Amino acid sequence: MDALTLPTGTLTDLSVTAAARLIASRKLSPIDLVDAFLDRIAAVDERVKSYILVLADDARAAACVADAEIRAGRWRGPLHGIPYGVKDNYDTAGIRTCAASRVLLDRIPAFDATAIVRLRAAGAILLGKLNTWEYGTGNGGVYFDLPFEPARNPWHLDHLTGGSSTGAGASVAAGTAMFALGSDTGGSIRLPAAACGLQGIKPSYGLVSRYGILPNCYSLDAAGPLCWTAEDAATVLEALAGHDPNDPASAERPFTPYARGIGGGVAGLVVGVIRDAAIEGATIDAANAAGIEDMIRVLEAQGARIVDASLPAPFADYRRVTSVINWGESFSIHEKDFMERGAEMGFALREKMMSGFTLRAADYIAALRHRRELAAGIDALVNSVDVLVLPGALHTAPAFTDDAEVIKNFTGQSTMSVFNVSGHPAMSVCTGFDAKGLPSNGQIVGRWWDEATVLRVAHTYETATAWRARKPEIAQS
Amino acid sequence: MTEWTNEAMAEFAARYGLTWLTPALLEQLTDCANRVVATGRAVPRMASEYDEPAHVFGGPE
Repeated sequence: MDALTLPTGTLTDLSVTAAARLIASRKLSPIDLVDAFLDRIAAVDERVKSYILVLADDARAAACVADAEIRAGRWRGPLHGIPYGVKDNYDTAGIRTCAASRVLLDRIPAFDATAIVRLRAAGAILLGKLNTWEYGTGNGGVYFDLPFEPARNPWHLDHLTGGSSTGAGASVAAGTAMFALGSDTGGSIRLPAAACGLQGIKPSYGLVSRYGILPNCYSLDAAGPLCWTAEDAATVLEALAGHDPNDPASAERPFTPYARGIGGGVAGLVVGVIRDAAIEGATIDAANAAGIEDMIRVLEAQGARIVDASLPAPFADYRRVTSVINWGESFSIHEKDFMERGAEMGFALREKMMSGFTLRAADYIAALRHRRELAAGIDALVNSVDVLVLPGALHTAPAFTDDAEVIKNFTGQSTMSVFNVSGHPAMSVCTGFDAKGLPSNGQIVGRWWDEATVLRVAHTYETATAWRARKPEIAQS
Repeated sequence: MTEWTNEAMAEFAARYGLTWLTPALLEQLTDCANRVVATGRAVPRMASEYDEPAHVFGGPE
């Protein structure tokens, strides 16, 4: 299949930051911007499959309101008039939210997720509901057994987007959304960001409300943005962050604005580098290994001090703990759906539910106890430096036609879940491209609540490299 | 430690009201159960009984 060709100089090429400046100065109308994205969706999404529901009329109506407000001098801030997409596990009042599941096809929530409410208050415009693995989870495999076809990687349509926020990754890379919201239990924001060449951040556990996002695993779930630039991620995260009494894990603490200090550079920062996460049986791709080395060189050249580091426990420990907690909590959340309609679930979700059905309570509690020890080890490591840099996904996106194990290894052979276990902020950033033109990635991890430094390091690397100048090629239609 | 068999798993599933298992789905369930047992047993046990779990519950601050 041909790669897509993206026309240059179009509105859909703009970053959030650039579009916001044009909108604020009234050089760009949200109506034109939304129309450009709806046109792009119409032109390419039959192939990319980033959306499972497009809300064109609602988006146009919201754009007209935003346009009138801005013309009247009531500009709300940098997300006013900015079009975005949301993973279809975020509840939207009166709008089907089915998480790509046959079981939930008739599900129409009565209220909006807190994240949706906050973005609407900031003036952002929802374009539609984005594709996802079923219930926003999975086992890394793709089985073509859901009511919607899988999203395609805009860099190469025969390749995976990474999951579970598949449409979120595909949309921002293909230019069918200016930014996207995803959710992350074991890497589901960062893996699609890695596969699709985006900047995707899983914030500290408790920074962004999960209320109204179909729960997957209470103690590991996090919500966050996938964006084209780190600065965009900072802007969106600012709008999302903050206490929500409806989310029991939501932290009651002030946060530092992220976008304002993002250009502060890395001079004097101590960057701990984990080159080899020692994932059993896995060897990092040449492109991903080169990407990490490139990131280290760039950060060092920008004044950071590089020190070697290693994970304090064997990688398998983090993986086991994640799996056991995830199986147990997911099954407890979705027991009724599984017991009544498990046969209608796709293979991956059903497998996860079956795992939870057979899990022993003692093993679940053992995982929770061990988690505390593992999290403390990571916390000590991160606190000994300013940020960690390490490989995220060890591989570039596999093809749908690859062996099933190769496909699953994109998820399984990644370090993402370590930081769901520990709760620290972790961000996947694009570090270049392999010989096939598929993006490579690296991961930046910060101290608890220190998203500001993670974003600053990401921005420093991003602006010192040329990777953001390259876009997927989308055929002119 | 013996592995789950399809027969034992069918009995377990029926006991808890899982009624829609076809032979293929029973096979999937048995495979899952054996993987879960192995994974659960491999989770290190904490040495002290005072090592509590990572809670999400706490009193007001």
